[in-house]
Amino acid sequence: MIKKLFSIFHDSPNSFEGQKQGEEVFMLLRHHPFTIIIKVLLFILAGLVPIVVWTISATLFPEYNWLHIFLFISSVWYLILWLAIFHSLAMYTLNTVIITNQRIIDNDQHGLFNRKVSELHNHRIQDVSVHTNGLIETFLTFGDVTVQTAASEKQFVFHKVPEPERVKDMIMQITRSRASGVQAMVQ
Amino acid sequence: MSIFPIEIIFNILAGLVFLIYWGITFVILYHFSRFGIGVQPKKFAAVFLFGSVVLSAAAIILFMRINIGSFFS
Repeated sequence: MIKKLFSIFHDSPNSFEGQKQGEEVFMLLRHHPFTIIIKVLLFILAGLVPIVVWTISATLFPEYNWLHIFLFISSVWYLILWLAIFHSLAMYTLNTVIITNQRIIDNDQHGLFNRKVSELHNHRIQDVSVHTNGLIETFLTFGDVTVQTAASEKQFVFHKVPEPERVKDMIMQITRSRASGVQAMVQ
Repeated sequence: MSIFPIEIIFNILAGLVFLIYWGITFVILYHFSRFGIGVQPKKFAAVFLFGSVVLSAAAIILFMRINIGSFFS
């Protein structure tokens, strides 16, 4: 029972709401981890604020005994930081691009109550391009993937995805296999 | 003036802060479980819930150790 309960932490399928019958998920993309690691590091730095404040105040005002109130305010500060870290992680985790054998679904989570879902059917894909900009993106191999549909329609841009070349190849492979009627192979 | 009303106000304020905190926590957990795809959101949700319980317990204990009367006197 407990084993079954904990299996969701290592065995969860990439299924999603609105998945059609026979629809197979080939790729689940999120932003490169570098983008979230930077944010989390900033929050960890903010965690040092109470320590710095206590060190300074204990030096400047040694006669006041406000340890208890200070510890309580620090705990509230850490609660706020905890919320902020996981708010960022939620935005990172919920911003996904799902590439299936039938379509591409782009979930844009801009805030907790601001969500945009766009989808593009594979047969409408005309062109896929990759844009890697700067030193960090080049060395850590992440960048933007742009999917172009029919001329008058909008572009789909997936920002800061890891291994953009592989994503481009995968999309092109799915598009080609759909046109030829041969099942695509996941690499 | 008695210090008693200030203590009540302080307690109500602390209660409100916790209510807001757990409200936001619920919303974030809801998003992780409702919209999360794959293993990663479930792991984040579990760590988040565990950390929230621990931090809240610590904050409550620290709050109870504050002597508001001596602070305002």
